[in-house]
Amino acid sequence: MTSDDAPPRTTPVVTLRGLRKSFGPNAVLVGLDLTIREGEFVGLMGPNGAGKSTLIKILDGVHAADEGAIEFRGRPVGSFTTLPEVGFVHQDLGIVDDLTVVENLRLGLPPLRRAGPLLDLGAERGAASEALRRVALDVPLDLPARELSAGEKALLAVARLLSTGARFLVIDEATSTLPPNDARRFIATLKDLTSDGATVLFVSHKLSEVRSCCDRVVLLLDGAIAFDEELDPDNEGQLAEILGHQTAAPSDTARVRRAADGRAVFALDRAFVGQVGPVDLHVERGEVVGLTGLVGSGLHDVAYLAAGIARPRSGARTFHGRRLAIVAPQRETEGTIADISVSENLTLSALPQWRRRGLLSLRRERRDVEHQVDALNVQPPDPDLPLGALSGGNQQKVLFGRALVTGADFLIICEPTRGVDIATRHELYRVIHELAAGGVAILVVTSDAEDLFAVCDRVGVLHEGSVRGPWPRSELDAESMALVL
Amino acid sequence: MSATLAVTQQRAGSGANRLGLSNFLRSSITFIVFLVLFAVLSLWLGGSFLSAQDRIFDLHQNVPLLVLGLAAVTILSVNQFDLSIGGMATLTAYLSAGLYADNGFPMWLAIVASLAVGVVGGLVNALLVVKMRINAFIATIGTGGVFLGASRVYGNGTVLVPDEGLPGWFAGRESFGSFSSKVPAVVMWVVLALLLVGAVAYVVRTLRAPAATPSLRSIRVACVVVGAAVAIAIWPTITGLVPLTVAFVLLVAIVMWLMFTRTVFGRYLYATGGNPRAARLAGVKVERQTTMAFVITGLLASVAGVVLAANQGSVAVDVAQPMLLPAYAAAFLSTVLLSTGRLHVWGCILGGLFVVWIRQALIIGGVPFTWAEVVNGGVLVAAVAASRLLTSKDRR
Repeated sequence: MTSDDAPPRTTPVVTLRGLRKSFGPNAVLVGLDLTIREGEFVGLMGPNGAGKSTLIKILDGVHAADEGAIEFRGRPVGSFTTLPEVGFVHQDLGIVDDLTVVENLRLGLPPLRRAGPLLDLGAERGAASEALRRVALDVPLDLPARELSAGEKALLAVARLLSTGARFLVIDEATSTLPPNDARRFIATLKDLTSDGATVLFVSHKLSEVRSCCDRVVLLLDGAIAFDEELDPDNEGQLAEILGHQTAAPSDTARVRRAADGRAVFALDRAFVGQVGPVDLHVERGEVVGLTGLVGSGLHDVAYLAAGIARPRSGARTFHGRRLAIVAPQRETEGTIADISVSENLTLSALPQWRRRGLLSLRRERRDVEHQVDALNVQPPDPDLPLGALSGGNQQKVLFGRALVTGADFLIICEPTRGVDIATRHELYRVIHELAAGGVAILVVTSDAEDLFAVCDRVGVLHEGSVRGPWPRSELDAESMALVL
Repeated sequence: MSATLAVTQQRAGSGANRLGLSNFLRSSITFIVFLVLFAVLSLWLGGSFLSAQDRIFDLHQNVPLLVLGLAAVTILSVNQFDLSIGGMATLTAYLSAGLYADNGFPMWLAIVASLAVGVVGGLVNALLVVKMRINAFIATIGTGGVFLGASRVYGNGTVLVPDEGLPGWFAGRESFGSFSSKVPAVVMWVVLALLLVGAVAYVVRTLRAPAATPSLRSIRVACVVVGAAVAIAIWPTITGLVPLTVAFVLLVAIVMWLMFTRTVFGRYLYATGGNPRAARLAGVKVERQTTMAFVITGLLASVAGVVLAANQGSVAVDVAQPMLLPAYAAAFLSTVLLSTGRLHVWGCILGGLFVVWIRQALIIGGVPFTWAEVVNGGVLVAAVAASRLLTSKDRR
């Protein structure tokens, strides 16, 4: 993959030497050395707990390293916070919804003044247009940021960094909340920036993303670098090695065949909702049906319709089961209640089952919660912590638990693995399999193709308002999915 | 890989331990600060402040305030505001005395009608906020003005002094509202016995259960033992001093506490306040919860008004309006008293009590009573600031 016309990637931009960091008795980083050179696009991967977040927080100045040195272009620095040449894009993009595009771009920049306290709006708009052009984002400057898609917001965040002079970008799992198309566009834009001389450190859980853009993959395990190589997309052995490090256990359950017993628990018959319709879909007892589509296709509207939260404009929704529960698509805004405890979040949907003579039996509730926390391997296993204190993957496990304890015989699970690491992903897949084996009907609504291949018996694709398929999984392959999408 | 997992789990585990202990310390720090403040004031003022009778009298006088504090806790639990509770309490104080004295209602009916007005007021607030989606701040400032104005119209803008007094069981000497009506000694001793049984049960259960953090468990047990010892020590002094009004507010608090901690409805309130969209998707009827929170808040405000009339036997113009600020101060204090960030009933009672006592101590110490509002405002801001500081630490 070496091309002769590319500039020689020899100038180190960032050098980390022997970084160590412990919290109390626990060593999180145990001597980390890394050099990133001018123009490189480096993928940083590793399971939850490997030390990725700690590393990023040290670079961003949130934590200080116990030992070791951070150098930027050969100069020792404590962190990158004060360097305008370095920019961070976190999962929370820091775009203020209530401000317009141009106002968001000017946030944190010294004001361009005309006279006294009055701003030179013309100059601001000129600078903003230039910043947007660099990320190939064509949106009106006066549009409120809330009108932007997630992908456009991510690009806006990058544009803002570029206009402060950032040349080294740290992308901290910012793609995990983006729908696949937006993520592809975002990554392509970053790739273009590197050919203009920017340097990118790209943190992601998704091998497919890293494969699509990175020149080099760095894998962090147990606080040290376990693997650091130029990426060769044609080298299957290399991919297998990265996957081997990443994957907790091969998921054999994915190949277990289940026989649905032909009794439909849930059905949509020529249903219209929002911009979507007509939708025909049914889910049988013990069956996992996947539904996918581009974000913006109304995928989540179908989920809300299935859950009975939205009503069909026309057509019929029939549900023959006892009870249904939904794991909502947007974990942070629709699932997690951050300030109340793990326990209270877990039991929220099924509270009446712990009620005796009007009062909750806290002891029986606690017993059942401890059982679930254990079964789902929630870390840390303390039901009294506020849910917001847990990592995203563990929050997702608790939200699975919330749906499970209802004893529902129909589950709508949206974006089950968004922003969770590979080990957690497999744990969640295992849970879905066990539920289906126990006779629960499950609708998995997801924009992540891996979910479809891992757990679904049949897969439908929402395309131009109606459901294509569903096809049995055996007839699916990545290429055919790509064609449909 | 299993090694990785083990390391991760170990790290997570000890993180929880640290969080457990530091949470405990953070939740106690405000309480300790108050105890120290109380001790300093006692040393400074000596016997003139450290009198059980006087301090319980403060409590008695501020029972309406504490009930309003519980009203504030209720509406804040769903992350809404109700600034009309001062106006509502004033209106119902006028109504409960006036309907009897001027309109010839039997006293019980005057009370029931006042409580009904509280419920209706709460429904109106809910209609504006939940159905019409008006910002709660604006809506309840408006309705609060209407309630307060209605009380002035009803009372002709003057003090309401019933010509022939209110019924003897309601207000006046030896009545429910009087400081001289005490809880019988027998009841006091039964309550102490129940408290001690509860404490022993707690200690036994805590010691038996496996603990993630043994040090934290020992501290908890020690706190309960010390608390029980203090109760035994002060009980002979306060027996015969606790008036019926104080027993009443404690009963209301117990009911509210059970509602918040032991009912499905109470859990739904916290869930609604925490993240309404998530709560809705989890099956909580968010609008219904918010509506009920407004209704309970209105009802408690009217209870405060009725108790106010019983306490004083007459009703002054805008009588409950100045309680709005300290009521919210007490409610916000509950988020830092023996809690990190959660509104709760006992924190509110304790917080209200501390606000009242500190204010009283300053007056005894020679600070003019005109400074009372400055103290209230200062405590409110300090409580909110402390709750921000104490709860934002473990969020990224």
